[in-house]
Amino acid sequence: MNLIICSVLVLGIIGFAGALMLYATARRFHVDEDPRIDRIASVLPGANCGGCGLKGCRDFATRCVEQGSLKGLHCPVSSAENTSAIASILGVTAETAVRRIAVLHCNGSCQARPETYVYDGALTCAIMDATGVGTRGCSYGCLGCGDCVAVCKFGAISIDPATKLPVVDTDKCTACGACVNECPRHIIELRPSGRLDRRVWVACSNRERGAVARKTCKAACIGCSKCVKTCPFGAVEVNHNLSYINPDLCKTCGKCVASCPTGAILTSFTIPAKTATES
Amino acid sequence: MKHTFKKGGIHPGSFKTASPDIELLPLPMTATVLLSQHIGRPANPTVQKGDKVCRGMVIAENSAYISASVHAPISGTVASIDDVVLPNGKNGRAIIIKAAPEEHEADTAARNSYWSDTIPAVLSRDLSESLTADEIRTRIERAGIVGLGGATFPSHVKIDLKPTQKVDTLIINGCECEPYLRCDDAIMRSCPGYIAEGIELIMKAASISRAVVAVEDNKPQAIEAMRGALDSMHNISVMSLKTKYPQGGEKQLIEAVTDRRVASGALPVSTGVIVQNVATAFAVWQAVATGQPLIERVVTITGDIPAEQRRNYIAAIGTPLSDFPFSLPDEARAIVGGPMMGKTAVCLDAPITKGTSGLTVLSGKGRRPVQPCIRCGACSDVCPMGLDPYLLATYGRLRMFDEAAKADVADCIECGSCSWSCPSSRPILDFIRVAKQRSRK
Repeated sequence: MNLIICSVLVLGIIGFAGALMLYATARRFHVDEDPRIDRIASVLPGANCGGCGLKGCRDFATRCVEQGSLKGLHCPVSSAENTSAIASILGVTAETAVRRIAVLHCNGSCQARPETYVYDGALTCAIMDATGVGTRGCSYGCLGCGDCVAVCKFGAISIDPATKLPVVDTDKCTACGACVNECPRHIIELRPSGRLDRRVWVACSNRERGAVARKTCKAACIGCSKCVKTCPFGAVEVNHNLSYINPDLCKTCGKCVASCPTGAILTSFTIPAKTATES
Repeated sequence: MKHTFKKGGIHPGSFKTASPDIELLPLPMTATVLLSQHIGRPANPTVQKGDKVCRGMVIAENSAYISASVHAPISGTVASIDDVVLPNGKNGRAIIIKAAPEEHEADTAARNSYWSDTIPAVLSRDLSESLTADEIRTRIERAGIVGLGGATFPSHVKIDLKPTQKVDTLIINGCECEPYLRCDDAIMRSCPGYIAEGIELIMKAASISRAVVAVEDNKPQAIEAMRGALDSMHNISVMSLKTKYPQGGEKQLIEAVTDRRVASGALPVSTGVIVQNVATAFAVWQAVATGQPLIERVVTITGDIPAEQRRNYIAAIGTPLSDFPFSLPDEARAIVGGPMMGKTAVCLDAPITKGTSGLTVLSGKGRRPVQPCIRCGACSDVCPMGLDPYLLATYGRLRMFDEAAKADVADCIECGSCSWSCPSSRPILDFIRVAKQRSRK
C-alpha cells in the first residue's frame, strides 16, 4: 500500500513540475500572432504563385494584417468573393478589381511567318532571344519555345501545334503575371477581360516601318492607322509604327478588325457578319 | 617554365591559318555606323539627316562617363539615323553615311597616302615626353578608342585612375587565345614599333612604371617582332605565355603574368594591373601621333574558306560584312568573332563595329545532339573561374536565379570552356548566361 502511495506521489510531483516548466516556457517564448493571418491565409488560393509580388500566400496575409487594409495589395488569383471575404476579415470593404487575362501581342503563325533561320541551340525563349533574332526572322515577335508555358502555375497556356504560338485558356488564367515577366520579348500583356468576355487587341509587337515588318511577317501591324480612323471611340493609337488599343476606351465593337489590311487585330469573340460588312 | 593561369583552361587548337599580312579593304560607298559600339551608354548623334560629314569627324559624342564617341569612317552625306539590322538579326540605332563617287575617290587617296606615307613618317620616340598625361587621355577620349580585344570598354575610362587606385603594371594583351583569329598577331608582326610607342603613351597617361606585353607561345614571330621593337626600353618586357584558352581573359591574364588573383566581384584594377589589347595600343598611338580617330580596325576573315580568302584587312568601321571578299559555302555559318565567344551572324549586310575582331566561317553539321548530364565534372575541371558550370546551368534551366547568384554566377566570364568540354554536348554556357542575366535584375 505504501508503495502505491509513494509512486503516485512521486509521479504526481514530477508531472506537476513538468507542467510548470512547460507553462513557463510557453509563456516565456510566446509569439503573438494575429489570428486573422491564419484566417486570411485559409481564404487565399495557396498556390504561392507570387502574382501579388510577395513571397507567397502567407506573406500576403501577413502584409494584409500588418497594414490593416487591402490598399496596394491585390491577389490576382482570388475571386471577387474571396477578396471580399479577406476584406471582411480585416473589417474593410474591398474595391472590386477588374478581372484580367493574359493576351499575346503576336500573331506570327507558321503560315504568316515561316521559319527562315536554323536554330540548333537549347529550346528556350530566353536563350534564343539572347543569341539572336530567332528562327522566324522577327526580332519583336513570339519565339515559340514556350517559356510562358513552363512558368504558368495554373496550366493556362499551351502552344498551339498548328501556329506554334501560345494560347491562353481564359478560364484557367488568373492574371498572376508570371508569363508577362518571363517573356524575353515582353509581348504578353494583362488586359481587362472585358464585358461579356469580349476583348479586342493588336496581335503584333513589330515596331519596324510597314514595308520592313511585312517582309518578315504577313500578319504584322504596318502602322497604317486605318484602325485609328475607323474607331468611333478614339481607343486606338499608333506609336512607332505599331497600333495599340486602349482597353479602357475600347467598346469592343470590332469595327477596327475588318479595317485592318493585314488581319493583325484579334478578338476573343466572333464578330457578327453585319458589323463586318458595314465597315 | 612558361607562365600561364593555374585553374582550368582548355586547348581547343589554334587554327591560325589566315595570312599574317594586313591589307587595305576598299572603303565602302555606304557606311553604317552604330551608336552603341562599346560597353556603356550609346553615343549621342551630333549630326542630322542631310548633313555633310568628312572622314574622321565626330558624328556622335559620348553621352555619359562610360561611353565613347563615334566618328565618320567615310566622307559623305548623312542619309538617315535609323534602326538597322545587326549581325544577330536584331536592331540597333545607326548613322548611315552615303558617299558620292568623288568623295569616295578623295577618301581613298587620302587613306592610301596615310598608310603608306604618314604613318611611317611620324614614328618618333619623344611623343610621350612632350605631352602631359591629361593631354594624352583627352586625345584618347576624343578619338573614341575602346578596348579592341572584343569587350569594347572605353579606353579613356580604364586609364582614368582614382587617387586611391595604385597601379604598378600595364599588361598589353597580345594573347589572342581565341582559335582562328589572327588580327592581333598580324598587328604585332607588322607594326611592333607603333605598338611600343602606344604602350609608352598609355603608361604616361596612367602614370604606370612597368609594362608587360603578354603573347602566347604559338605566335613566335610576333614575340620576336615585339622583342625587337622593345629592345631599348628597359621598363617594357615581352612575356611568352604557355598557350591555353582563355588566357586573353583579363582576370586569367593578370594571374598568368603577375600571379595575382582578382577577388570575386572586384575590378581587375584592384590588383594594381591594367590590361589593354595590342590593337588598342596601336589605336592609341594612331590617335595621339597622327590624329586619326578610331575609324578603322584590323579584321580577320578566316575559317573553312579557301586559303587565299583567309586574310587580315584594315576595314573602315561601318563596312558591311558582305563587302569582305569571301564566299560563304552552303551549309556553313559565319560567326562574328572567334568560334569560342563569337555569335553566329544571320545577316551579312550588317556592319562591322569597333569590337569586330573577325569573321570565322565554320562548316560542319552544327551542334551535336544534347544528352543528359553524366556528372563527369569535366566542366568544373576546365572552368577558369573555379565555378561549377553544371550547377549554374541547372539553376538557369530551372529558373533558380537566387541560388545561381549565391553560387557566384556573376563571376562567369562566358568563355565557353564548359560547353566545349562537355561530353554530352550540353549547352551549359547558354543556360549560365540566362542565370547571369536574370539574377542581375
